[in-house]
Amino acid sequence: MDDFSNDSLALITTLKMAGVTTLFLLLIGTPLAWALAKMKSRFKVVVEAIVALPLVLPPTVLGFYLLLAFSPQSLPGKLWQQATGQQLAFSFSAIVIGSILYSLPFVVQPLQRAFEQLGEDILEAGAVLGAGPIDRFIHLVLPMTKASFITAASLGFAHTVGEFGVVLMIGGNIPGETRVLSIALFDHVEAFNYGQAHLLAAGLIIASLILLSLIYLINHQPAANKSSLRGNKQ
Amino acid sequence: MNMLSIDINCQQNDFSLSITKDLQLSGILGVLGHSGSGKTTLLKTIAGLKTQAIGKLTFNNIVLMNSELNTFIPCEQRQISLVFQEGRLFPHLNVLENLNFAHKRCQSPSLNLTEIIELTEISHLINKKVTEISGGEKQRVALARAILAEPKLLLLDEPLSALDQNSKTALIQLLKKVHSQLSIPMIYVSHNIDEIQQLADDLLVLKSGKVFHYGPVHQVIHQLNNSGLIPQQTSLCLPILSTDEQHGLHRLQVTDQQIILLPTENTNLSQDNKSVRCFIFASDISLAVQEPSQSSIINQLKAQILAITTDKHQTLVTLQCGKHNFFASISLFSLERLQLQQNQWVFMQFKAGAVRTLKGETRVNNG
Repeated sequence: MDDFSNDSLALITTLKMAGVTTLFLLLIGTPLAWALAKMKSRFKVVVEAIVALPLVLPPTVLGFYLLLAFSPQSLPGKLWQQATGQQLAFSFSAIVIGSILYSLPFVVQPLQRAFEQLGEDILEAGAVLGAGPIDRFIHLVLPMTKASFITAASLGFAHTVGEFGVVLMIGGNIPGETRVLSIALFDHVEAFNYGQAHLLAAGLIIASLILLSLIYLINHQPAANKSSLRGNKQ
Repeated sequence: MNMLSIDINCQQNDFSLSITKDLQLSGILGVLGHSGSGKTTLLKTIAGLKTQAIGKLTFNNIVLMNSELNTFIPCEQRQISLVFQEGRLFPHLNVLENLNFAHKRCQSPSLNLTEIIELTEISHLINKKVTEISGGEKQRVALARAILAEPKLLLLDEPLSALDQNSKTALIQLLKKVHSQLSIPMIYVSHNIDEIQQLADDLLVLKSGKVFHYGPVHQVIHQLNNSGLIPQQTSLCLPILSTDEQHGLHRLQVTDQQIILLPTENTNLSQDNKSVRCFIFASDISLAVQEPSQSSIINQLKAQILAITTDKHQTLVTLQCGKHNFFASISLFSLERLQLQQNQWVFMQFKAGAVRTLKGETRVNNG
């Protein structure tokens, strides 16, 4: 295969990994962020610190422990193999799990802030009008925190696309399975293939720039909505 | 008859609410108290928004809460609606969508959305964003929204406190209208005695989380005259005999022979009002032993002294005129000079302008 089709495959793998990861992040991150926003226990700070760990740790640290956990000799790896018949380490599933953990704070934190800002007032108003907890979440919380969900999903997606260390540690470099853009770029540089490296690097910069601009655009729009919420409280 | 039976304790930091009372909700129940007296905590407990309260709460024989049996009906299933101080309209929905939110969730809707919109006079607002409407309009929408949930009990938590005087007067009229047309039992919480005097049939007074007084509104206001909680006053509900348009005065019947004159500009009564609620500050009533003549003070009533209580240099005289009690505050000096005694007949004097309905101010337009 030539460099171009190799890189296309890496791009598809990357998008697939980021997409699946973002979906799981929203499914896991939303209830986690909700629980953290409502939590009054003193263990809240501990949970918050654990969620925030990937922000400060070198990705290789997380990757190292995940590699140990995913190996067929360890319990999680063994259970996975029994359940799916496949090895977990060096698989697409492994890099998705790694990415979920690595990008968790990027989804949980904006959602938690949004839920905290929303406060109890609006939810109480919903409850006295006969709306139950799920009804309130779908018809009050979701529309009022829509911008934060878009931010969280975009940040989670973008951060997953940009990940290198974790994938390198637990994914290896299997084309079509775990070879993602950042790794393909690394390969090109190692092979002094700077032309192709430029293509990937500049492409990633431009794509990230566009995505981030879109996030900021969305976040500037509902500013009017947020201030109106405050105005309503006066 | 709607019966709300309360036996609750709610501990919150250094404040505790402890109430055991059976409340008959025949009309509007006013709840009066200073901030920190537990008014809002009581309302939230009734609505089901305070989960930490312990004890028992039943409404019309339905157990809303019984901590001994671990029974707790969640707020959304209680069919008790609450109008908050700040309205709490949903900012992502427009006015009509806010109303529909409640209407759609009503279990067995019997009210017509359009009729409630007309009743609460918000037809011109329904397509507006909630950020585009004024404070008074927001509270109208919040009231309409709460009504459309078709609650068995409607709670109002200081809904007028953020409004200017004209909006207050208008909303009080609206609340009276809503209550007379839909006859939903209501509990109206306020720290403002004027609002409660206008609206409530019964009054529950809270002090430091406990019941201080409970009874018919005028009676309780009179009991409060010696408490320092409110300005000393006479609270009355009097039938309107006639209106003197030329002089701008309503004639209110006190006894068969005696009337009080009330300036029409102090009120904003509609045609169908047959009686008026008013109050007179004790400091606005003076006493004379002999019938005064040739005075500009047009209200003069003959009354008998029931009681005299003295506090330092001020004296509160309780008088009876017909079946009504009146309260006059005079100086100790006057008391001694006039040698007033219990059972003595005297003449009460007060200006027409001293007969108040809502704090002095009048409405700009009579619409």
